[in-house]
Amino acid sequence: MLSLIFKRILLAIPVLWIVASITFMLVRIVPGGPFEGDKALPPEIVANLKAKYHLDRPVPEQYMLYMQRLTQGDLGLSYKYIGRTVNDILGDAFPISLQLGIAGLLLAVAIGVPLGTVAAVKRGSAADFGAMFMSTAGISVPSFVIGALLIFIFGIWLKILPVALWESWRHMILPAITLAVSPAAYLARLTRASVMEILEKDWVRTARSKGLSGDKTVVKHVLRNALIPIATVLGPLTAILVTGSFVVEYMYAIPGMGRFFITAVGNRDYDLIMGTTLVFAVLLIIANTIVDIVYLILDPRMQVN
Amino acid sequence: MAPKNKAGIGYIWYRLRMIKTAYGAFWVIAAICLVASLSASQFPLTHYQYYQTSEDLLLGPCASHWMGTDELGRDLLARIIYGSQLSISIGITTAFIAFFIGTIYGAIAGYCGGKIDNLLMRGVDIAYALPDLLVMILIGVLIGRGTSGILIALGLVSWMGTARLVRAQFLQLQHEEFVEAARAAGQSGLIIVLKHLLPNAMGPIIVALTFTVPSAILSESTLSFIGLGLSPPACSWGTLASDGWRSLRGHPHLILFPSFFIFMTVLSFNFLGDGLRDALDPRTRLFNYGKIVQDPEEKAEAEGEKTEPQLASKE
Repeated sequence: MLSLIFKRILLAIPVLWIVASITFMLVRIVPGGPFEGDKALPPEIVANLKAKYHLDRPVPEQYMLYMQRLTQGDLGLSYKYIGRTVNDILGDAFPISLQLGIAGLLLAVAIGVPLGTVAAVKRGSAADFGAMFMSTAGISVPSFVIGALLIFIFGIWLKILPVALWESWRHMILPAITLAVSPAAYLARLTRASVMEILEKDWVRTARSKGLSGDKTVVKHVLRNALIPIATVLGPLTAILVTGSFVVEYMYAIPGMGRFFITAVGNRDYDLIMGTTLVFAVLLIIANTIVDIVYLILDPRMQVN
Repeated sequence: MAPKNKAGIGYIWYRLRMIKTAYGAFWVIAAICLVASLSASQFPLTHYQYYQTSEDLLLGPCASHWMGTDELGRDLLARIIYGSQLSISIGITTAFIAFFIGTIYGAIAGYCGGKIDNLLMRGVDIAYALPDLLVMILIGVLIGRGTSGILIALGLVSWMGTARLVRAQFLQLQHEEFVEAARAAGQSGLIIVLKHLLPNAMGPIIVALTFTVPSAILSESTLSFIGLGLSPPACSWGTLASDGWRSLRGHPHLILFPSFFIFMTVLSFNFLGDGLRDALDPRTRLFNYGKIVQDPEEKAEAEGEKTEPQLASKE
């Protein structure tokens, strides 16, 4: 397992380098620059600003400078939030996004896995149909629609929950639900397929014929094995949560990474765009590595290969 | 009576019709596509033009404006009908882009195998290592937020799934006897790919494409919603919902109706995709609400074996 982690870390370095290089090129090819906003600044000031952030140098030199700083873990300076480093901004924003992401993930698992299991066990019944209809609806509804509905019902109509900012646990409820809907539906569909496949295995029939009750078979024998493919979707699931966080943070005015990324793109805040992209890439790589490790733990046969 | 040829389109259609959700979804999609193409050919579906402003600002749904009006007094129904053109065509075009890039990429990887396969698949891994929305925003900003920019951005994030699928199918099919036979008969690589491998991989590819359409529609509307997708005067369901979001407090109908159409369309494509997957795989027994649906021939076979109790059967 150690060799696997080691290999993954080695592989992550070139991947991150490529991601950093592509993003670096993309943001600089994009028309418009960080100091060409609504308020036109005098050319001398723009020149000074560009000199300060080394934007007056040729692009290859900027690239070398950026990469040099990156190897030391320095993500650069924000052009818009003056005086703040990207490390500083992301240091504040990342924990918020992480809390939101974990809350959403836990909620999604708590809803999706039982729903999918019930649907598979009662295959072909009205309960199955209902669960599958709900989960197909869940993956079909844009998260901004869920968000708008929740804000309208709980914030504007009933006035019982706050609809913006990030201050107490009550601020977390609506964003977490909004974020959880689509991964929960995705998990429910996956769990159903996985449990259905396991239910047809010989050893499930054996357990049943030995007199184990239906529920016990499902919980003790089926679910444990059915969870293997579910654990492996942690990677795509992280991607869904990250994408979801863009919309959710935008709607609920949460100062997380997704929101900073959106404003950074609008402001052409080069270093902040790069920093956010890299953090997202690292997150996805970590999620995929965890998937491989979990896979090894759950299914020891993998080690032979 | 089921069609005799169990690989033909007729049989797939026959099986699809037995899955009620998918069959219903097919007609919903047909209706939406019809409305979109009528609107594109300037057929007057409503009393109003999508750009026509009137004195009645921010009206709720009423007799003359079925879905109300927006802050400039434009009829929302007319705008939704007009927006369907862009939403639907973005979904379908993205699916085609994903099909072309994904199939060619996956076919090369799957057919060549070895080092080329390994290299190409690492490329897919890198493309997967970035969140879709992030790449789309960057590409969208790069090419411009016009329709073509969004289309290219959506296409560039949608092909990886198809590529993986085609590669996996090709790797599996390579060892089938009919491919070996074709190779032994001296047929060229291109002929083997086009005549033997691709047609046999087509089923799963079509299913994957059916799922690409709704995810592209969702992505476009999400992008437009956070203000980084299409910008006025372009009008899609996403931009309409985005406009409605600003007046959520006072005029919820402005976000409700466009959202409903996005939801219905995406839901229909997802149901159709699920249905097609089951219809294309002859091993799947078709389920419907509370019933197992079977065609009579299969039922006769199953009764001979008495493997599982039959709850009910259609026809």
